[in-house]
Amino acid sequence: MATLTDGARREVWAEAMRQLSNDREPISITKADLRAAVDALDTFLNSNAAAINTAIPQPARGALTTAQKARLLMYVIRRRYMDGA
Amino acid sequence: MATRFIFSPLSAEFPSSNFAPLSKVNARPVLAFDAATDETAYWTFVAPQGFTGTGTLVITYAMASATSGAVGLQAQIEAITDGDSTDTDATTSFDTVNNSASTTVPATAGYIDQISITMTNQDSITAGDYCRLSINRDADGSAITDSATGDLYLIVAELRDAA
Repeated sequence: MATLTDGARREVWAEAMRQLSNDREPISITKADLRAAVDALDTFLNSNAAAINTAIPQPARGALTTAQKARLLMYVIRRRYMDGA
Repeated sequence: MATRFIFSPLSAEFPSSNFAPLSKVNARPVLAFDAATDETAYWTFVAPQGFTGTGTLVITYAMASATSGAVGLQAQIEAITDGDSTDTDATTSFDTVNNSASTTVPATAGYIDQISITMTNQDSITAGDYCRLSINRDADGSAITDSATGDLYLIVAELRDAA
C-alpha cells in the first residue's frame, strides 16, 4: 500500500482539527505544523507496515484481515496513549 | 465612528455549501469557521439612514483551540438600490472582497479578539439600500495568511461608519 493521497492526508488533517475544536482542546502549533505531522506519520506507517505486521504472532497475523489488524493496532494505541489523557 | 448595525450568529443566513455552522459555546451562539475550508455566512440588513463614508467592520471572535498562529477574514457587501436591475432570484452582486490583516490569535483559546476590516469596496451603499454582508474565513490562505489550527468562532460583528 502506498502512502495516502494528498487529498486523503488533507481529510485526516481537517478531521483532526475538527476534533480538537469540538473538544476545545488547546493546541499551540500551526495548521502547517499539524499537516506536517500527519504527513510524517503516514510516511512512517507506510515504511514500517511490514515490521508492524511481522510483530503480530501467528496465527493472528495470517488469519486476521488487514482492517482487523489495523483496528487491533488502533485499540492498543488508544489504550497506551489516549485513555485518560 | 458610529455603530450602524450589529450582526449576530442567530441572524446569519447561509449559502447552500461551505457555510459556517451555527453552534453554541458555553451558551453563547457562535458561527464556527473551519480551519481547512473557506466557509461563509451572510446577513441581510437595510443601510441605515445617515450612513456615510467608508464603513468599518469589527468582528469579535475567539478560537476554539488554537493558541498560536494567525487568522484572516474577508468581507463583502452587496447593496441594491430601489430600481436597480439586479435579478435577486438568480444572481448575487457582492462587491470586491475586503481583506482583514493577518491577525495573531489570543494566546488562550476562548479569549476574544477583534478584527477590523475597512470596507473600501462597499458596492456604493446608500441609506435605505437592501444589503447583504458576507463574511468568510480565508482558511486556505489564498489572500491572507491563516495559520491558526481549528475553528474560529465568530461571536458578533459590528458595522461602523464615519459619522
